[in-house]
Amino acid sequence: MTATAVHPGQTGQTGRTGRLTRSLDPRQGLPWTILRLHRAALWFWAPTVTVGAAALLWAYGPGADAAWAEHQKNSCAAIMVDSCDTGFAYVRYNLAVTFGAGLLIVAPALAAAWAGGSLIGRDMENGTAALLWTQSVSPTRWLAAKLAVPAVLLVSGTVALTLLHRLTWYGNTDVRDVMGAAEWYDATAFLPNGILATAYVLLGLALGALAGLLLRRALPALGAALAGLIAVRAALEALRPSLWPVETVVMKDDEAPSWSGMYVEHGAVTSTGDHVPDRACLDGACSGHEIVGYYADYHPESHYWPLQLVETGIVLALTALLVLAAFRLLNRRTGGVK
Amino acid sequence: MSTPALMKGLPWTVLRLHRAALIVWGAFVVLAIGVLAWTITVTADTALRELAACELRGACGIASTVSYSERIGFVGLAVGYAFLAVAAWTGAALIGRELENGTAALAWTQSVSPARWLAAKLAMPALLLTLGGTALVLAFRWGWSAHRELMGDSWDFGHVFLARGPAMVAYTLCALAVGALVAIAVRRPLPALGLSLAAMFALNFVLDTFRWDLWPAVTRTGATELQLPDNVRGLQNGVIIDGRRTADVEYWACDGTPAEVQRCVDDLGVTGYYAVYHPQSHYWPLHLVETGIVLAVTAAATTAAFILLRRRTV
Repeated sequence: MTATAVHPGQTGQTGRTGRLTRSLDPRQGLPWTILRLHRAALWFWAPTVTVGAAALLWAYGPGADAAWAEHQKNSCAAIMVDSCDTGFAYVRYNLAVTFGAGLLIVAPALAAAWAGGSLIGRDMENGTAALLWTQSVSPTRWLAAKLAVPAVLLVSGTVALTLLHRLTWYGNTDVRDVMGAAEWYDATAFLPNGILATAYVLLGLALGALAGLLLRRALPALGAALAGLIAVRAALEALRPSLWPVETVVMKDDEAPSWSGMYVEHGAVTSTGDHVPDRACLDGACSGHEIVGYYADYHPESHYWPLQLVETGIVLALTALLVLAAFRLLNRRTGGVK
Repeated sequence: MSTPALMKGLPWTVLRLHRAALIVWGAFVVLAIGVLAWTITVTADTALRELAACELRGACGIASTVSYSERIGFVGLAVGYAFLAVAAWTGAALIGRELENGTAALAWTQSVSPARWLAAKLAMPALLLTLGGTALVLAFRWGWSAHRELMGDSWDFGHVFLARGPAMVAYTLCALAVGALVAIAVRRPLPALGLSLAAMFALNFVLDTFRWDLWPAVTRTGATELQLPDNVRGLQNGVIIDGRRTADVEYWACDGTPAEVQRCVDDLGVTGYYAVYHPQSHYWPLHLVETGIVLAVTAAATTAAFILLRRRTV
């Protein structure tokens, strides 16, 4: 990397322009430098988001129409074979939606890997960061810009994709219903329909930054940030049903459960009123008490936003803590140079 | 100072240098086998009793059965798609990093020629990936088939298809070769990581798309609606009208008493039914053809990597 590539605006700056115009030129300054330095990532993210957005828009309009027309013409439900391939129009529709949703689901992992490996880790490893701090850029400003510029671009992308995914999801309920697509609580819909994808992308960025500063080597930081993100997501996914109080229905006898939504737990109600999460009371789970009914704990669809917002809150709080830790670590390392 | 012969030389150096990866791979193999063993020995009993209670009393839970099935499915996913991690690691850590920071160039000024360096870099990981991969495939075959009644998946699911045979090992070796080729071409670890990952993802995507075309499917016809055996991979089905097969006639819309249905079907001109499918016995031919293709790509990528390296270093 040559100096001119890192500081593109500096060439001939004193001779050509005066002080005032230089400070107002958007092609100078730290944010512009960061964009230039990481233009490969920008060249990846911008087209990917564009293709994802186009796929979702296409699915919302012509894709869904074609899938619906095909379904009307050629119903798979009544065919004699126990497994049959769905029609091509639905396969194409599903591929487009899956691409858009999948992008939102993997974007946090990509952000973590990139932030750990490329954004921070690489600069720490090869000394670019240290060199930069000897110039007019303080370590704190360097890290702030390194986090702010990608954060703006990542959030713009995920918010746009989320809005389009919601459009497709709520605009094509008939196609989704007949094709047995994902339910609102499935991971492939829960994340892309809310603000969680955006929150997780910021968490990925923060994890990557902290890992890069801690390990000061690109590849280990990449691995650590990715592993950290996967661990947090697995933990929160396991905790998800308990992030909001469940609804409980109690049924007198063994009738079909009268609930729909995110399954949490079901079991037997004993004569003491206890809820035992085992409908058959195997192995003395009910301590010999009689079964007087059955219960089911679940989340109805109206719990979507409460569940979503609590999880988002946790993720954003964690992100804030990680960013704080990253700045404190950097300060300690560099002796508090402001 | 004398060192045992085994602990000297290039292979040992490769192992020492990449001991973190060695530990991760070893831990993954042990953990995956451990989870499978624990799932089918310890947790199966509860799930089986749950299932028995369902048949006996109608009142039952499914939680243990679901987690049994999920755990084995998760191990299958990790085993079947482990090659993606191998591609990322090879492109970035094994080859890309040393080309960028000059360690490779330094090694070549010592007694190690570039070709020998690359051969050692590929041979040791290939050996360990083959050994570990074989163990994982055998363990997954054992775990997957232990209690089929508790599982909802089928032999034709992508990860199950891969993780139950030598294609899993072939894909990891291919990832090694492709990762090396990409790293030598771009000579920078992070771009090499991304490109190797993308290349292997694309290869798998293409083969996944054309998987069922790699072996002739079975076609069955009959005068009445066909009852296909269990566990088939259906490809196409429909009716025969005027001796021609068509999947576009809505014969299933015929409704009513058997006689009414028969009359309606006759009115449509239906003279028979057909179905095109892969029975489960096609697993091995399909799997081995895919393995062969992946190994051919591996050989081509390895050759290209050596040629490119020689051109770069001469």
